[in-house]
Amino acid sequence: MNTFFILCSPEFFLTASALVLLLWQAFAKLNYKSVGVLVLADYLAAGVLLLPFVENQGIFYNGLYVWDKMAVLWKVFFLITGFLVSYISLESDSLIPKARAEFYILPLLTTAGMALLASVRDFILLFVGLEIVTVSFYVFVAFQREFPSALEAGMKYLIIGALASSFLVMGIAFVFGITGSTQFDEVARFAQKSPVNAPLILGLVFILVGLGFKASAVPFHVWTPDVYQGASTPITTFLAVGSKAAGFVVLLRILNLPFYDPGFQKHWIPLIVLMALLSVVFGNLAAIPQRNIKRMLGYSSISHGGFLLMGLSAHNKIGCAAVIYYFFAYLVAIFAAFLVIVLLEKNQPSGVSIKDFNGLYQKNSLMAWSMAFAMISLAGLPPLMGFFGKLMVFLAAWESGQHLLVIVGAICAAAGLYYYIGVVRAMFWTEPENVQRIDLSPATKVLLWILSIGSILLGFYAEPVIKLVGAVLS
Amino acid sequence: MSFVSVLLLVPLLAFVAILFRVPARQAALGASLVNFLVSLWIYFHYDPQFQGYQFVQDIRWIQLPALPEIHYHVGVDGINLALILLTTVVTLAAVIVSPEGIKREGEFYSYLLAISLGALGAFVSLDLFFFYIFHEFALVPTFLLIGIWGSENRQFVSLQITLYLIVGSMILLVGILALLVLLPADARTFDIPSLINYVQTHPLPINKESLTFGFLLVGFGTLVSLFPFYTWAPSGYAVAPTAAAMLHAGVLKKFGLYGLLRVAIPLLPGGLEQWKMLLYALLLGNILYIGYVTIAQKELTTMLGYSSVMHMGYLFLGLATWNKIGLSGVVVLMVAHGLSIALLFALAGEIKDRTGEIKFSELGGLGQRMPFVSVAFILASFASIGVPGLANFAGELLIFFGSWKAQPWITALAIWGIVISAVYQLRAVQSVFFGKLPTHLKEVEDIQGITKKFPYILLMSFLLLIGMMPNFLLSVIKPTVEQYFATH
Repeated sequence: MNTFFILCSPEFFLTASALVLLLWQAFAKLNYKSVGVLVLADYLAAGVLLLPFVENQGIFYNGLYVWDKMAVLWKVFFLITGFLVSYISLESDSLIPKARAEFYILPLLTTAGMALLASVRDFILLFVGLEIVTVSFYVFVAFQREFPSALEAGMKYLIIGALASSFLVMGIAFVFGITGSTQFDEVARFAQKSPVNAPLILGLVFILVGLGFKASAVPFHVWTPDVYQGASTPITTFLAVGSKAAGFVVLLRILNLPFYDPGFQKHWIPLIVLMALLSVVFGNLAAIPQRNIKRMLGYSSISHGGFLLMGLSAHNKIGCAAVIYYFFAYLVAIFAAFLVIVLLEKNQPSGVSIKDFNGLYQKNSLMAWSMAFAMISLAGLPPLMGFFGKLMVFLAAWESGQHLLVIVGAICAAAGLYYYIGVVRAMFWTEPENVQRIDLSPATKVLLWILSIGSILLGFYAEPVIKLVGAVLS
Repeated sequence: MSFVSVLLLVPLLAFVAILFRVPARQAALGASLVNFLVSLWIYFHYDPQFQGYQFVQDIRWIQLPALPEIHYHVGVDGINLALILLTTVVTLAAVIVSPEGIKREGEFYSYLLAISLGALGAFVSLDLFFFYIFHEFALVPTFLLIGIWGSENRQFVSLQITLYLIVGSMILLVGILALLVLLPADARTFDIPSLINYVQTHPLPINKESLTFGFLLVGFGTLVSLFPFYTWAPSGYAVAPTAAAMLHAGVLKKFGLYGLLRVAIPLLPGGLEQWKMLLYALLLGNILYIGYVTIAQKELTTMLGYSSVMHMGYLFLGLATWNKIGLSGVVVLMVAHGLSIALLFALAGEIKDRTGEIKFSELGGLGQRMPFVSVAFILASFASIGVPGLANFAGELLIFFGSWKAQPWITALAIWGIVISAVYQLRAVQSVFFGKLPTHLKEVEDIQGITKKFPYILLMSFLLLIGMMPNFLLSVIKPTVEQYFATH
């Protein structure tokens, strides 16, 4: 029992510190900015607490909860995500209603939910973890209730999210009904012993629908552009990276354990391929005419969901490695992009269109370069991280025989260049309306440098990340 | 460290120096001069009789899942040595030709160095992965150069060229990956010499070879502006700042041809056989159709852009026939075309800067005011047409010799291209330098001073040197080409 508590440190620590902070700010009237700084410290502390247990392995609570290298890696991923989201929130404090310390505290709980998802080995725990994440996002998206667009986004996210959750529960119910268990190993064992029947397949399909919503894969994507645009920018970032990653962590787990049996595979592989195909085509084509940058990144996120699904469709280790690497590349690029958007939004609170990037190079070259690297990495051009992510995903899918998917994916990736390069063009090639310099704080400068250099170095010399991913999967 | 790596390190150091606020023009000038000298050193220390690559450096780089080990593997043989010389000469000329005090100077010269570095890297790489990456690395600064320093309509053109070339690169990447996947898992490698060794002993199934070759042909073909994937080139070069047009048309465009002769054809000879007739038809499109389109042009830089596209047809012809003479001709013509088109673009840039005009109808009689420019332009035009004694002649002659035996009819049609190119090129000479001098051009000045004239003299000297003594290149090219075919 003790070991379990120690191993769960990120979840417990984050939840406990969130509760402490909530009470503290309620009684001591803490300034929201100090709360934000404390939250950053919490993420760092949770990361440090994780360090001694990196090498541990184990399955707890009768197979409910697993602690392995993959879980640790994803917990670290979510902690980095939470940290950066909180940093972006602090940076964009002028855009968010003041004296609302909860805005900074809630991400701790969301991250705890995500960290829990990294360790699930049971459908009930999966549902609980996913709901912790989703419910807190309902709050986040509609947080700026004075803006009609935020309320509309919140409403859309709530309705479609609730629908997705019902599908997920229904799917879990079917699986439980047939196999008699919600535990991943038990379901896998059942599939080995007896043939996979129609209700079980139905359960699998329902679960995929529920998770397709999280991954914003077509045709479960309809909420994405509106919510990305309507939510405040830090939350859009959280949705783009954290929420999407949470969906994929769960997909990685369930497709490789309870539904790994060939009896299941022959049903889910075509579904995943179809979702991937639709997502890359729709996401990339629909992003082209967008003029609002957050909306454009919303559609681009749909297409990235497609590329990630392509990695999953390979149903092998290389595909999983590709998905994990892709996520790290995506994290670096998306945070750099959204940090720049937030910095621009400070001068332009009504929202940022691509036109607002005109001549950014002349206003602040670091911001322009960071955004350019982010766009080039998202577009998948060498030698940035995004390129290697796409390359690995394509290779994994090609090796597993999905030739058509790879060809369509490559064409769509090329089409995607149009809108990513459009941003670069605006920043470097277009004259700005005014050349008012934008000043950055030293910490933001350092962060932008780290994200930009990281995306180049870890692309050109990807070995450390690849080794890490390889060790996780071994 | 191999001297070949020094070639890559020098621009990189200059790049860093510019970052640390060393005057950009001086840094670029120093780097391109050092690289020129290093390439000459490599040329004079190269042993033509040696079998295989020289000045080799091979370091393990990384391994990605599902991919073979990637190596930083560079080396020189007769073919890429010629292209290294071309790159360093054109880079030096392009840097000197660039104006002093240009806006955003640091960036401008960094981008020029980056194109040169990417091109050199692509030419010396013996690892497929680095070969591809270096080329991509050179493309991005090209877009920026056009987008920031280009002339009117640069926004549209830079976007068009970006999308076109990146789509070409993507198709190329799919082709390279398809090529790897064609091989059995234990034989997969990025190492180009090992790949060639492998396919010589284990021929690949013809239908798969054909599909993969198709990808590579379209990918490389787009980068070389093979008909009908050429529309990016004329407008791109017309708008690009002079140095960017010189480096791209003169050097970087050769990457596609180099890729075909170094990778696609040796690895997939069956693929070439299957696509040969289509390739002949397309290259005639380059020579005849684009040739006539070039005649119709009314502006100097656009005409040069089209003429560059047209001349690619000869190079494709040499590659398609794939024999010793033709291949030697291809390498010589790649260098010759690079030098002559760089010279023509540089001169067109001078004319544009000094007169403010680019339309043939607004120009004329400049020979009186600009004797140096007119002599240089006429020499470059003669080279471009293929007049004996200048570099292009040697290359074209070898290609026609090579192709005559295999495809007399196609060769005969291709030779007609020489007449076409003489028409448009001489018409350009006539309408720019002869006839009546318009009144608004009466004050135009010629290029003054030896330092300003140096890049032109440098390019002309090489055109003459190779034209008079083709052995300067052929002595290193021929043994390599012979080895190529002997091991086949």
